[in-house]
Amino acid sequence: MAIVKRKELSIGEKLYLPAIFRGLSMTFRQMFKKRVTRQYPEEPLPVNEVTRGQPRLAVNDDGTIRCVSCGLCEAACPAYAITIDGQETDRFIEREPERFDIDMLRCILCGFCEEACPKDAILMSDELELADFSREALIYDVERLKRPVSQLRPRLDYVYKVNERW
Amino acid sequence: MTKITLNGREIEVDASKPLIAACEENGVDVPRYCYHPGLSPEGSCRICQVEVSEGGRPPRVVVSCRTPITEGMVVNTETPEAHETRRQCLEFLLKNHPLDCPICDKAGECTLQDYSFAEGQTEGKTEEPRRKLEKRMDLGDVIVLDQERCILCTRCVRYQEEVTKKPELTNAGLASNTYITTFGERPLTGNYQGNLADICPVGALTLKQFRFQARVWNLEKESSICGECSRGCSISAEVLRRNEVKRIRPLFDADVNKWWMCDTGRFAFEHFNDAERLTGGLVASGDNLLVTTTKDALARAAEVLGTGGKAAVVGSAWLSQEEAAALAALAGALGTKAVFVSPEANELKDDLLHTGDPAPNRRGLEELGLKAVSAADAAAAVAGAELAVLAGERVLAGLADENLGTAKLVTFDTGPCLAAGVEVCLPAPFHIEKVGTWLNVDGLERNLTVARKAPAGVEPLDRSLNTLHAALAGAGAQA
Repeated sequence: MAIVKRKELSIGEKLYLPAIFRGLSMTFRQMFKKRVTRQYPEEPLPVNEVTRGQPRLAVNDDGTIRCVSCGLCEAACPAYAITIDGQETDRFIEREPERFDIDMLRCILCGFCEEACPKDAILMSDELELADFSREALIYDVERLKRPVSQLRPRLDYVYKVNERW
Repeated sequence: MTKITLNGREIEVDASKPLIAACEENGVDVPRYCYHPGLSPEGSCRICQVEVSEGGRPPRVVVSCRTPITEGMVVNTETPEAHETRRQCLEFLLKNHPLDCPICDKAGECTLQDYSFAEGQTEGKTEEPRRKLEKRMDLGDVIVLDQERCILCTRCVRYQEEVTKKPELTNAGLASNTYITTFGERPLTGNYQGNLADICPVGALTLKQFRFQARVWNLEKESSICGECSRGCSISAEVLRRNEVKRIRPLFDADVNKWWMCDTGRFAFEHFNDAERLTGGLVASGDNLLVTTTKDALARAAEVLGTGGKAAVVGSAWLSQEEAAALAALAGALGTKAVFVSPEANELKDDLLHTGDPAPNRRGLEELGLKAVSAADAAAAVAGAELAVLAGERVLAGLADENLGTAKLVTFDTGPCLAAGVEVCLPAPFHIEKVGTWLNVDGLERNLTVARKAPAGVEPLDRSLNTLHAALAGAGAQA
């Protein structure tokens, strides 16, 4: 059995007080510095156009949906999160989605759908939060995915800027 | 047979066919829009150009669909000159083609897309606006014409002249203002309009019924046989998300339907998607039908049939040979002879494909000794018996208007039976969901294959009938 010999403490060390004051000085110094802790739900995360949040469908200023249900995002989706059925419209663009479901629990926010879209209709928004009481409630249908294009404009401009580099 | 050299390979080919057919038979894919093996060659699209050298002369680029084969011809499909000529043709074809692909139903099976991708030119050079024409021209009940997408290959015009022998479409206008239309803008007629959407190499002629229904790359395409008449055309049943049949298209079959099928067969698939599908057993208890498993329902059916008494066994005209043999054996065990409900002939008979007889396996069933009876006679036989087995797709629909009396019924159909005397309902597969054989009107064997998997709980009908037969024989041996 090995015997550990304890170190002999000096008077200052035996008193404890210098070490306590050194520790408290650190504490008091931090109290006057800028806080780094974020009070998350009350204080939201910073977002900008580079944020790749949940995909959303752009709606034109005249209220028509941009999506023509071509199915390219569905084909590009690596997580099989998207399901689309099309239908005919009376508009000049003859086709629009009858059903456009994104299973947000499957979505991995990769942005392939945004990249595949030939109509700039699906864009990665800055919305990141996702919580509900059932899985079914997190399969978003077209009404829950619609966002006015003005809201998605910064992302749209950013995507164009990035694509120009290629 | 004539000897030619194709891409450096010496081959023997049939000189009566155009060069493009010889290339195809020898595994060399030449692009084509206007050429269709079932129609006369036209040479209007110019995309099938290949390099040909005859009699030692310098090679030149010619259209392979209108070039006759000569002895000693040297053909090269992949030279830079041939590729460049094809790319230039494509550029002209695409000059007025709208960039509709995200909306177009043809996207995914469009050869214009495929060859554009293969030749690799991504941008046009023209600055003039594209032609503006009718985008949604209604051509009757079946077809919608998008004139802007048309590349004027005239396959549709030749199809109507040569196959249906009823010219209704034409190209009107001159030169760059040519467009496809019908005479006097009248709607198309006839029972063979759906083929126009198949032969159209682009999305100009599309099916109204399939319009915007599905993207073609999401469809699982499996071969089967059409069950709408006794011709037994080869079809491809195209299924979306493993449950819904979205489209039926003809498959090439040299002996029966060539490249074509009639609209009656093409659009007869709604019943495959019926929500009223029986996927387990239903057993009578008092006035109610209780849901149970197929296995338990089969055991109950054996009990019902084991009680003895005068029996009637009625099949449907959609039974395969295997199912009909099993049904005939079961009928023998019950001391009777199996018959099948013969649907009445309809007025769709024509010279091309439709036979006017809606019973697809009439010839096979009659060869097996099943007698064809009318719905009224079948119902009378059932009403006159104490026990009855009704088996096969559409057997209940065939007897729906008849009085089946008070016989105890054991039914095998795709849907439930709601007649008064029903004891046990068992599920049966549709003909696109089973393996089997039909004999068509000419006595040719038509092989049914599983184009769509039957829902869980639906057993193959021949297996169910054999199980029932074995259970009855076992009960007889014990007694």
